Amino acid sequence: MRIFIYALSMVMISNAFGQEEKVIYQYKKYEKFDLGNLEVKGQLIAPGDISVRERERRRFELDLFSRKDFDAFIKKDVESLR
Amino acid sequence: MKFSIILFSFLVISPVFAADEKKPEKTFSQALEDKKYYYSALNEYFKETYARAIINDDLKRLEDLLYYTGIELLEDYEPSLLQKYPTSSTRFILGRQALQRKKYKEALDLLGKVHPDHRYFAEGKLLEAQVYDQQKNYKQRLKSYEACQSSAEKQEGSAQNEKIGRYYRMVYEICLVNKARHHFKVEEYKEAIDAYSKIPKKSYKWPYLLLEKAWVYYQMGDYNRALGLLTTYKSPLLDTYFFPEAEYLAALSYFRLCLYEDSLTIINQFYQVYRPRFQSLDGMLKKNRNSQAFFYNLMFKDGEDLAKQEEFIKQIVTRMKKQTRFSLDFNAIHKITQEMKRIEQNEKGVIKSKLVPHLAEVKDNMTAKINYNAKTDIFQFLEQVPFLSSELFKLNLEIISRKKDLEYANKKLIADRSRGDYSNVQRNKFEYFWKFQGAFWADELGDYSLGLKSNCQTVRQVTEEEGE
Repeated sequence: MRIFIYALSMVMISNAFGQEEKVIYQYKKYEKFDLGNLEVKGQLIAPGDISVRERERRRFELDLFSRKDFDAFIKKDVESLR
Repeated sequence: MKFSIILFSFLVISPVFAADEKKPEKTFSQALEDKKYYYSALNEYFKETYARAIINDDLKRLEDLLYYTGIELLEDYEPSLLQKYPTSSTRFILGRQALQRKKYKEALDLLGKVHPDHRYFAEGKLLEAQVYDQQKNYKQRLKSYEACQSSAEKQEGSAQNEKIGRYYRMVYEICLVNKARHHFKVEEYKEAIDAYSKIPKKSYKWPYLLLEKAWVYYQMGDYNRALGLLTTYKSPLLDTYFFPEAEYLAALSYFRLCLYEDSLTIINQFYQVYRPRFQSLDGMLKKNRNSQAFFYNLMFKDGEDLAKQEEFIKQIVTRMKKQTRFSLDFNAIHKITQEMKRIEQNEKGVIKSKLVPHLAEVKDNMTAKINYNAKTDIFQFLEQVPFLSSELFKLNLEIISRKKDLEYANKKLIADRSRGDYSNVQRNKFEYFWKFQGAFWADELGDYSLGLKSNCQTVRQVTEEEGE
């Protein structure tokens, strides 16, 4: 009985391995689209002529030095007294 | 430390001299004071008093001595020694030192104890405002400037001589200008202009303020007025006042008016004329960086002895000589020299040998101080040049970029060179208008405005084909 169970399980395992090896995936090597036949259903809402609204191009200025305080001048003035 | 050594050596000797005096009740320092040897007396005073309890008479005497010598000498003394003498003068000098060491609480405490009637009260308020500025307490800062102004004005009115009066006028003006600078910092430009306008044209500070006022007008968007103020520096009366920052601001103002060619002219002039001179000067000065007397001697060098590249040095030196600090230090050196001469002529050998070396040391310290201040001023001036050079280079790049954009957009500026027009001059009801006839008039200085129209409007470029 034991021998029979071992034999059966071995057969089942070998079958399972055998099935995995047989799977072959294949992809399409070439597909053809006939664009002339394609049809899109819907309503045409685009304007008749192409127009682009002109807008000012954003320009970036270099960070030019612009004085915001005279702290260094204050220090120098105080030092110039004595 | 040096002072401590001298102090101890004199401590042993002074009783001997005191015994030689005819009137034993008088101390040696009092005897020296009677003979008007104030600088020697001050040193002796400290030696006589520092080891014992101080009484009110001692403090009064110290204030009297400092009235003649000035407080510049106290800078060389140890703060721990000065703390023993709670007078307004010592508190002022200690407060100043605390501010320099960034000990703001201590500085406020010391400066707050300067008596309101004391001669350094106004200057103390000026320092106090600086402390508040560091603490970003702008409300208190403004209050301190106002207290400084009113005290300086009062002291000026009761000044004993013209020199002292001039000192208080200077303190008053610095406090007023600092108020203007405060308004500028908090973007109250109109108030800033009003405060600047209160400084009279004959004031020593006035030429310096043209640049600051020009910045205020620039920030207000009145580029014509900014350019007009900067033009004032071209006047023969102000030829010793050269500021690289003024050149930069002029180039920047032309740039804002889209007058690119004018801006480029200033930039090129800076690179071709000024920068090479600064570079050769820089080399010459750096060689003497560690000299103890080179910059002091430079202050007294005849203008004709200076090479052409040293022209800026001549200008800076002229400006430095007008500073209160220089006058005080130089005056102290003169008075010490006179005292040394009198001691040499009138005193016996023992006293001479003890007093003269100390005075010589004090004199050397004062000379070193002038040398250091002159060196600092000159190098600070030269340090601006690389910074402003790089800013002008950035401005140059920006102009090239703007010009390129115009070309790519097939556009050009409305005019190649905008011409002046009266309609472009902004002025208030108190400002009169005269045409510039190619000559600078002293009473007109500082009131110039250009009448340039902004050139920033663009027009589409017309091609040859379209033109036909």
